[in-house]
Amino acid sequence: MIKCSNVTCKFQEKTVLKNISLNIHSHLSILGANGAGKSTLAKVICDLVSYEGTVLVNEKNIKEYSLKERAILLSYIPAKLEVYDNFITLEEFVLLGRFAHKTSLFDYSKKDKIIAKECLEFLHIEHLATHPINALSSGETQLSLIAQALAQQSKIIIFDEPTANLDPKNSKIIAEHIKGLKEYHQVILITHDIALAAFIGSDVAFIKDKSVELFDEEFFQKEQLERLYEVSFESYGVKYD
Amino acid sequence: MIKVFLWFSLLVILSISPFLGAINLSFDSILDFTSLDSEIFFELRLPRLFFTLFAGAILALSGLLFQTLFRNALMTPYTLGISSGAVLGAGIAIKLGLTSLLFGITTISLFGFLGAILTLFLLIYLSQFLKSSQHESLLLLGIALSLFYTSALMVVFYLGSSVQNDMLIRFTMGSLSIIGWQHPILLGAMALLLLVSVYFYRYELQLLSISDEGAKLRGVNTKKTTLILLSVSSLAIGILVSISGPIGFIGLVVPHIVTKLYPVTVERRILKTALFGALFLVFCDTLSRVIQTQSELPIGIVTAIIGGPFFIYLIISRSSK
Repeated sequence: MIKCSNVTCKFQEKTVLKNISLNIHSHLSILGANGAGKSTLAKVICDLVSYEGTVLVNEKNIKEYSLKERAILLSYIPAKLEVYDNFITLEEFVLLGRFAHKTSLFDYSKKDKIIAKECLEFLHIEHLATHPINALSSGETQLSLIAQALAQQSKIIIFDEPTANLDPKNSKIIAEHIKGLKEYHQVILITHDIALAAFIGSDVAFIKDKSVELFDEEFFQKEQLERLYEVSFESYGVKYD
Repeated sequence: MIKVFLWFSLLVILSISPFLGAINLSFDSILDFTSLDSEIFFELRLPRLFFTLFAGAILALSGLLFQTLFRNALMTPYTLGISSGAVLGAGIAIKLGLTSLLFGITTISLFGFLGAILTLFLLIYLSQFLKSSQHESLLLLGIALSLFYTSALMVVFYLGSSVQNDMLIRFTMGSLSIIGWQHPILLGAMALLLLVSVYFYRYELQLLSISDEGAKLRGVNTKKTTLILLSVSSLAIGILVSISGPIGFIGLVVPHIVTKLYPVTVERRILKTALFGALFLVFCDTLSRVIQTQSELPIGIVTAIIGGPFFIYLIISRSSK
């Protein structure tokens, strides 16, 4: 349960979010035009940017959680991953998701390593375990990020445009995994991919002109989409189901 | 194979280093504890060897630390102006004639440390005005600060007496000529403190080496970790520079060589980098003593002659087509 009250966020002089209030009870897909503030909203929830207003997660201000508690509570998966370290392998990368659970000063525990391995197997990327992260394709990188979030075992997972850099086939693989995760995690999906949002089937928050409008499946009606996006639609794109 | 050869050569140099210099010592003569050779060995050469080992470890580790925290191969305390800050601090202490001791630490060391730590805080303060990703700009800030400090040091020169200036000029070239065990012990403690701190935070560092935001999302208190590690490193660098003067390029060259030799994540390179840095500086120091000039070459000049071209190579290889 995430509760944003009167959130205003500015970058330098530009107001990106203005006085937004939004209660997220369950799964949610966030859509909106470029620059509407979708990613900013996600970063506000994760407390990665400075903002005015309050964000409560499970009735407690996000700023009052320690960073480790926050990591166990929610994880954020960016669209793109930039890794300065050229040598880190996929299995090492996924293991890093266990940092918040690590209690010993020394190496990650056996349990941590088993969990990391299971996450790789779950996403069918265990054959890439010893490959350096920087050598993976966009689709594989997105799966790695999901594996890391799964290893982190956070209740809430925020996906920021997971299919933005992917070809249709990889988009479908990712889409199926995201839908599957809804069973155990609260999934917040930020996307431009309307077909993806329709497939995931969560309620929709549409951000436009710095304010939020909420919809259920009526969002995906052609007239509604055309009104919101101000273009005509012909088809959805990838057929996910 | 090349690894074994490199480590072996460095160890050989380590073992013969204290016997070489303006006066070459033999193994038999140092065992005669009444001889001059023995005194040179135990009061000059051996303390110097340990001082050099600790200095090399501190420089290399600090380089690795800065490069990891800022995710940029060109970041070192030297390129960011922290060493120059220490030089200016020490220079001011020399100019003011402050040579008294405070809890066993000389005022010059204290001023050197203040110069380093104030530069660090200034950099952290100024970096708030940069976008978090713009570490290149931070590098430019460091270079700007270095230039400013150099000018300020010129003022100190201008105001100084010729005796003070001679002391200062020699100081700015870097020197490992020390007498007795006081400095090696102090620096050893610093090297240990730095190594333990870096080792303690090695998993945080591993996360920070990927990205700042990512580390925070995995549960790392990035601000606290960064501040503690940079402070400890600046403390060590400040004290080192105030004793030996600035020794450049070790922090740049050594982490890069170790990375080439051991392509693994940063937390597994910490000990190797410290050890390689220690042995590499002993190599440079031995070189400075065996090359025959009027007296020994200042160490800062030797490392600059090796490191300067390497720095250019690094820049070109980073931005080549």
